[in-house]
Amino acid sequence: MINEKEIMDTNVEDEEIINRQWTTKLRRKAVGELPPQKLLPDSQPAYVSSWIYVFGVLTLSALGVVAISGAILALFGPSWWQQSPEGHFVNSLHLWSVELFFFFMVVHLWGKFFMAAWRGKRALTWITGAISFLVSIGAAFTGYLSQQNFDSQWIATQGKDGMNSIGIGAFFNLMNFGQMFMWHILLLPLLVVIIVGIHILGVRAKGVVPPIGALENKQEYAKAWSGKVRPYDIIKEGTIALVIVSLLTVALSVVFSSPNKAPLTIQRWAKADPTDFVTTAATELAGTSFSGSYGPPYNNGNGALQYVGPISLQKLAGVRIPINSAQDFVLQPLATIPNNPTLKDALNTYEAATPSLQNIWNNNFAKADAKLAVNGNSISVPKGNYGPIPVLMKNLLTMANTGGLDADLENSHQFYGTDYTKPLLFMADGNYMATLAQQDHLTGDQWGMMNETDKWPGQPWLWLYTMWYQIPPMSTSSNADALVMSIMVLLTIGFASIPFIPGVRTIPEKVGLYKLIWRDFYKDQKSTK
Amino acid sequence: MYGAKVLSLIVGALINLSGPGSYIKWGFIQMSVANLVLILLMIVVLALAIAIPFPHRPGGKK
Repeated sequence: MINEKEIMDTNVEDEEIINRQWTTKLRRKAVGELPPQKLLPDSQPAYVSSWIYVFGVLTLSALGVVAISGAILALFGPSWWQQSPEGHFVNSLHLWSVELFFFFMVVHLWGKFFMAAWRGKRALTWITGAISFLVSIGAAFTGYLSQQNFDSQWIATQGKDGMNSIGIGAFFNLMNFGQMFMWHILLLPLLVVIIVGIHILGVRAKGVVPPIGALENKQEYAKAWSGKVRPYDIIKEGTIALVIVSLLTVALSVVFSSPNKAPLTIQRWAKADPTDFVTTAATELAGTSFSGSYGPPYNNGNGALQYVGPISLQKLAGVRIPINSAQDFVLQPLATIPNNPTLKDALNTYEAATPSLQNIWNNNFAKADAKLAVNGNSISVPKGNYGPIPVLMKNLLTMANTGGLDADLENSHQFYGTDYTKPLLFMADGNYMATLAQQDHLTGDQWGMMNETDKWPGQPWLWLYTMWYQIPPMSTSSNADALVMSIMVLLTIGFASIPFIPGVRTIPEKVGLYKLIWRDFYKDQKSTK
Repeated sequence: MYGAKVLSLIVGALINLSGPGSYIKWGFIQMSVANLVLILLMIVVLALAIAIPFPHRPGGKK
């Protein structure tokens, strides 16, 4: 770094060049906006005297514990956090530090709203705070998807519809564990840290907003505080907050632990409800299952194609994750079974048949569903023209019962080796998975997005998102996901724009909670007068 | 061996939250009791943070 003395020693031409340099300009701007006494202050305005102010640093401390516990989990992997007691304990630390992070952040956000903390050219601080809250929700969401337990499976299969409905699902695949894990441990935390960093620098540069009515004109709120100050040890405050949050996290983990409901496998499904498995597999073969007729990003069907007005972003995004339910879930897995001439004949017969003949067999088998009897690996249907379908279903059931179908569908040839798109789509097409989800109040009509399995608290910060699904027209619309996602995008923009919305930005003044928060200041101001 | 026993004590939840949860239903609103407790706690903590006097020395310098 060149100091001012060195600049004086250089010739005039060099000095002019140095003054024009991007680096010099950036350094002067940075040091001017954020001198060391602002970055690490030893005093702060006397009006900063309420417990509500500690929730910002508590949120940051919880973020630190989240990062440390998350890093340990990432190092050891899913088997460790699901199966070993030490791993499960660190999993509990991660869960409870996340709960504390959101808990403190929500209280911090409420406090800042009631203080109208965007006053005095501090709108960017509010906006970065709002964005960091929303990005944190995304980070937490990908975390829930990364658990690799039943909750994460169910969230992935349901949340995908929201993402697909606005075209995001084509690129952001909730059922691809590898991709979600990458977002969860790297991309979203990086974004959170960057935005939170900008937020903190904004607070340090602009200072804490003065109380409402403290200054005579609005311009003064943007200037540095020239009134009473009190000693403030920011390092000590941060250290105490970190210790408190760490102890709270450990205590909550010891007392409550964390949920660990085993993931559903096709093998488990086939053993528990073989009839549901076979009838679902038959719809996959016929291409009439939810996945088989879904539409983009999986295929060209229109079963789940959604619009906002005349536009379908889902259609615009196109088929990016090709799924042919007959080939991917039934025929190709069966073709991998060796030394089975009967199956080979059945496969050849089915594939050689014309589409209309395949349709006749599939329709006949679908009609016989109600009379389908499954016992172990054998299935029986009333006499009829089903072609080779009973043989295909019997062998697929056997393959499922041995775990071979799980292995085949999980055998991804894509970049991420842990892509569960196929087995999850298959399982979600059946009734068994939904029955399990309903028992844990996880379904959409049960406000399931908010809930965790068993008695653990879930994600109450998703209340608004899940609420829209309960209200007409969303509750009855075939475009519910697209409508809800559009509403949430608009509300998100509105939330970040509160400082600029007349009527909303003045709510804190009308509510008057600020009078209690700054009561010491107003009392002092009154006595001074 | 002793370490493993201590660890199993630490990692074992004192309050077992496994098992079917409880839910409240109010009109179209459904919520788990655990989520409701969390939301109520946030409101209580906000109220306490505002209501409890903050320790400080009187005065302060300009």
